[in-house]
Amino acid sequence: MKNRLEEIRKSRGIKQEELARDLAVSRQTIGSLENGRYNPSIMLAFKIARYFNMLIEDVFIYEEGQNGEVQKHEEM
Amino acid sequence: MKKCKNYLFTVGGILLVALGLGLVKGISEPGELLSVLPYVLIGIGCGSFGYGMGELVSQRILKNDPELALQKEIEAGDERNIMLSGLAKARAYDLMTYVFGALMIAFALMKVEMSAVLLLVAAYLFVEGYSIYYRIKLEKEM
Repeated sequence: MKNRLEEIRKSRGIKQEELARDLAVSRQTIGSLENGRYNPSIMLAFKIARYFNMLIEDVFIYEEGQNGEVQKHEEM
Repeated sequence: MKKCKNYLFTVGGILLVALGLGLVKGISEPGELLSVLPYVLIGIGCGSFGYGMGELVSQRILKNDPELALQKEIEAGDERNIMLSGLAKARAYDLMTYVFGALMIAFALMKVEMSAVLLLVAAYLFVEGYSIYYRIKLEKEM
């Protein structure tokens, strides 16, 4: 799942450390989210979206078949 | 309450070590059980003292540094850290299954005493059973 976290965070002039502290997560989690290495829980996704006063869909972009999940499902 | 528990572990540990050392020095002709008991007491005492003292030092450091305490709290509750910890444990569990199996075969080939092999098999089955129990429990909860 892609996201616009880094872009949104930078546009608002917020440091990774500040965002991590405000969301009560580690700085490494923010880094991993921005790099796309980690997909957040639905709770954290909501927290992030609320923090920026945005909708989840505006921050996180779901692309079908990105992880092969849809294809696998269809094969079954 | 937690501080009280840590003091208890520390003092209890010192007492157990002292008791163990006293038994080593004091008993001239120990029986089979008494010859082992002092060392068991020293071992448990050292562990208890180490745990209690470590917690007390950690508490003192965190008390003087609220920033560090907050950071530690965040790190402990961080969902990615929790997930990574869970995944690492799961990998270790998978590996342990094979290690236990290999160890059981090795023990059997080494003609180790039957009671030791059976004890290992029982431990292996207990862990596997525990895994199945939690799987069923979590299936019902989620």
